[in-house]
Amino acid sequence: MDGCQSGVPTYEGDLHVVAAAHHIVKALGATKNLSDDLRKILIDLDSHLSMITSNIDSKGGRGLVDVEERLDQAERKIMRWETDPMMIWDSGPKEASDYLEAVDETGKLVDGLRGLSVHENRKQKEILHRAMNILQMAMSRLEEELIHILVRHGQQFEPKHMYSRSIRKDIVYDESFVSVEDEPIKETSSRNYSNDESGECIVDLVHADVIPDIKSIAKVMFTSNYGPEFCEAFISVQKEALEQYFSFLGTENLSIEDVLKMEWTCLSSKMNKWTWSMKIIVRVYLASEKQLCDQVLGGLGSVSSYCFLEISKATILCLLNFGEAVAMGPHRPEKLLRLLDMYETLACLLRDIDTLFSEEAGSFIQLHFHELLERLGESAIAAFEAFRVAISSNGSLYPFAGGGVHPLNKYVMNYIRMFPEYCNTLNLLLKNQHPGVADQVTEPDYGLDASLLTSCPMAYHLRSITSCLESNLHKKSQLYKDEALQHIFLMNNIHYLVQKVKGSELRLFFGDEWIRKHNAMFQQHAMNYERATWSSVVSFLKDDNPGSSSMSKSTFKERCKGFSVAFEEVYKTQTSWSIPDPELREDLRISTSLKVVLAYRTFLGRNLAYTDDKCVKHTVEHVENSLLDLFEGSSRSLRNSRRW
Amino acid sequence: MTGTDQSSFLGRISIRRNQVNAMEGYHEQEIEDLELFQKQLSDRFAELLSAPDDAPTEAFLSISWIRKLVDVFLCCETECKAILLMERDAAQISKPPLDRLIPELLERVVKAMDICNAVTNGLELVRHCQKLAEIAVSALEQKPFGEGQARRAKKALVSLMSAMHVDDKESSVQKTAERSWSFGRRSGNKDRHHGHYRSLSWQVAKHWSASKQIHAMTMNLAAPRGPEASCLPAPVYILSLIIVFVMWVLIAAIPCQERSGLTTHLPINKHVNWTHSLAGIHDKIGEEWKKKEKKGMAGLLYEMQKMEKLGQSLIEFTDSYQFPGEKEKLDEVAAQVAELAEVCRRMDEGLVPLQMLIREAFHRLVRNRTEFLDVLEQGGPVV
Repeated sequence: MDGCQSGVPTYEGDLHVVAAAHHIVKALGATKNLSDDLRKILIDLDSHLSMITSNIDSKGGRGLVDVEERLDQAERKIMRWETDPMMIWDSGPKEASDYLEAVDETGKLVDGLRGLSVHENRKQKEILHRAMNILQMAMSRLEEELIHILVRHGQQFEPKHMYSRSIRKDIVYDESFVSVEDEPIKETSSRNYSNDESGECIVDLVHADVIPDIKSIAKVMFTSNYGPEFCEAFISVQKEALEQYFSFLGTENLSIEDVLKMEWTCLSSKMNKWTWSMKIIVRVYLASEKQLCDQVLGGLGSVSSYCFLEISKATILCLLNFGEAVAMGPHRPEKLLRLLDMYETLACLLRDIDTLFSEEAGSFIQLHFHELLERLGESAIAAFEAFRVAISSNGSLYPFAGGGVHPLNKYVMNYIRMFPEYCNTLNLLLKNQHPGVADQVTEPDYGLDASLLTSCPMAYHLRSITSCLESNLHKKSQLYKDEALQHIFLMNNIHYLVQKVKGSELRLFFGDEWIRKHNAMFQQHAMNYERATWSSVVSFLKDDNPGSSSMSKSTFKERCKGFSVAFEEVYKTQTSWSIPDPELREDLRISTSLKVVLAYRTFLGRNLAYTDDKCVKHTVEHVENSLLDLFEGSSRSLRNSRRW
Repeated sequence: MTGTDQSSFLGRISIRRNQVNAMEGYHEQEIEDLELFQKQLSDRFAELLSAPDDAPTEAFLSISWIRKLVDVFLCCETECKAILLMERDAAQISKPPLDRLIPELLERVVKAMDICNAVTNGLELVRHCQKLAEIAVSALEQKPFGEGQARRAKKALVSLMSAMHVDDKESSVQKTAERSWSFGRRSGNKDRHHGHYRSLSWQVAKHWSASKQIHAMTMNLAAPRGPEASCLPAPVYILSLIIVFVMWVLIAAIPCQERSGLTTHLPINKHVNWTHSLAGIHDKIGEEWKKKEKKGMAGLLYEMQKMEKLGQSLIEFTDSYQFPGEKEKLDEVAAQVAELAEVCRRMDEGLVPLQMLIREAFHRLVRNRTEFLDVLEQGGPVV
């Protein structure tokens, strides 16, 4: 400025130069595509030149009068609103632009007068003082108008339109291994990936029509060095709007202590809600907020990202805090799927977060985010381990009545049936657990190559889980005193295991080889059962002396009796046993039938001579029919039965 | 405190444990370790206590002082844990009375984590105050200075004062309603702008109370007596006491959600040597707190108090200011403005590192808890 002072022109020629320069500056200023910085320079130059002009004029006393007149005019326009109860921007575009023009004019006068204020001109100082007062009043007013516009035109949006909530059946698993029934779980592919991945949907948080108004207020406030006030006001309103939205989503702040003490069912639903809110807040709300900040404050350097950070910080930290609390809680097996949901949510939002908070100042949010992701991953793995341990250590004191499918088995199989949905994540997390299997598969593209899937880390861990399960079931089978029942139990359970694997995407991970092996296993148990139960029964019907045509009557009688007693005994015990799978039950009955009925028929056929005797207690049909009562899970007795 | 101090201390324990484990005289060595540790603690707190009440830097309860305090906390935590866990058989930890003391310690640790979060939120309020003060400073520094700038400064200062005096009780809406911006007259949304703590996202949780947390943390916090005083219960007690104490100081200094009745007596045993300075700091802050509590205030943080005093004085100035103003008065004000600018500068420099330090303390508590839980699990009765 000093340089200009010395050059204040004193004669005509200079006046022309100044006028010409002024003209050029004005013409340049009218250009549309100017950067904001450049525009500001031109504005400064403009007011400066007009000041020089008026200063030259002031030699003749006219200049300051001119300035004063311009100030009077602007003051009238600004002061008029001080007593008006209406808001300016509500009163119409003309009013608003008039007001802005007056403020702009005042600002220019202040700038110009300031540039010259080194001259001890009392009059000039007075005018500057007045102009600054008016400017302050106007700025205060603009702040008020800004808040009013933001509040009045703030838009609510319904989250449901943006994201349909995951419709997966929410099964609450708990530690008790209480049986989870199989029927209602038909959730395959209900995770709504299409929505999750479909990316940003940006909404207008403030009505699009008023964005230019907000921008013009920002511009004039920043030009007059009232930027900090603008930011304060803007941040406060937008921050509160975000908070309102946050509570509208039904998310609440929870202390770590609360989360750690929370009951599982409650925590599970909060974890669900968290994944949902996190996505909406980041993908929709914050993306939109960022856009608003950029629209309004773009071109002002780091101001936009500063405001954005201040607006969003509290809410995002609050969300992250919940995640942290969850991650530090006990790693119980039932938490696994919810933890994976949270992990996947964060993982898929990482890029968004890195973009939203790319500036230095926001880097701590990025850092928190990455830290939390890592922790959730660790927790998920810990929960996974806990799951395996829980399976191995699930002990029973008493045998499971009836030898049917054990609840532990149901629980485990229904639970792991959902793992394929998390295949990529689990592979990523489990990769480091067992380096041996790690390298075989780097980026398994789930659902493609079957041979690849059976060798991915998750497949390895799935098989290790089921082998834990199998050995536990073996242990449980030892609780039965009856060897036959041990086999029924194992047959039932391994059959169930195979069915669950075959009937779901798990089959891709276990592979045909595994299925074949396990099919053979339960079939072996079926055979062992037959041997254990029926060999001794059928042995009564055996012909000790195949050469001779028939046995003695007394032998026949004895054999017949022995068979009846043994058969009745089996009937009595095994009607209470259970084979829940109808097909398996049917198969076993048929093969038993083949063995027993055939032997009985042959036995009776050979000894036709004695069959009238009442020692033949059961007819072949009776035996055949009564075999149908086995494994129905309710004890019967042949002796008391009406059917006899 | 220096890093070498600490590493030599940790080295000492580690070597000892390796050498004398399973040898006679193990217990004597432990007592010696514990005494050395207490001596170091005593020195560190004495240094904190000796900070000047009013000084441009390093004043008692200033940001840099709080940073030192948190540093002390981090060191103690590491050392205490070393004494408790390093090279130690997990079974020792799960025997009585530790099977009760350690879970109690962990409860305190969880509460301390929430307090760390509350304090981090409180530091945001301090930063907000800093921004408002900066606006006031820039207005007051304007040349030429006129009534317009005086009004601008006043507006920022009034906001600053009400931000500071936000009552941290959730229930008291009266005070916070006034805090709404001075320009609410037309927009009719006066009650929209609640205080910092009415703003939901800065709450730890609904109905959460910092002073209640402190109170709960002091439950069952008693110095071990008799033979227990020289074995494992001692470091558990020390660690607990230090956690409670440091959290208490943080709450007193930095705005926090619901602090009424913070003067809760901390059970510091003054008859033990190492707690002398600790008790000294406790008394000093306790008295300050009593003096100020009724007024409702942002906390005892040196910079905030300074800001409050300067702010009030500058509001008076801006209230009565008329252009062009007396030279003498203007010079006096210029000095105050420079002081306020200096406070802002110190906040600008110190707040972010302090926030990071508190975050580190938080992480440390999380890790600490995990380690203890692991040990408990290892040593726990076989299920």
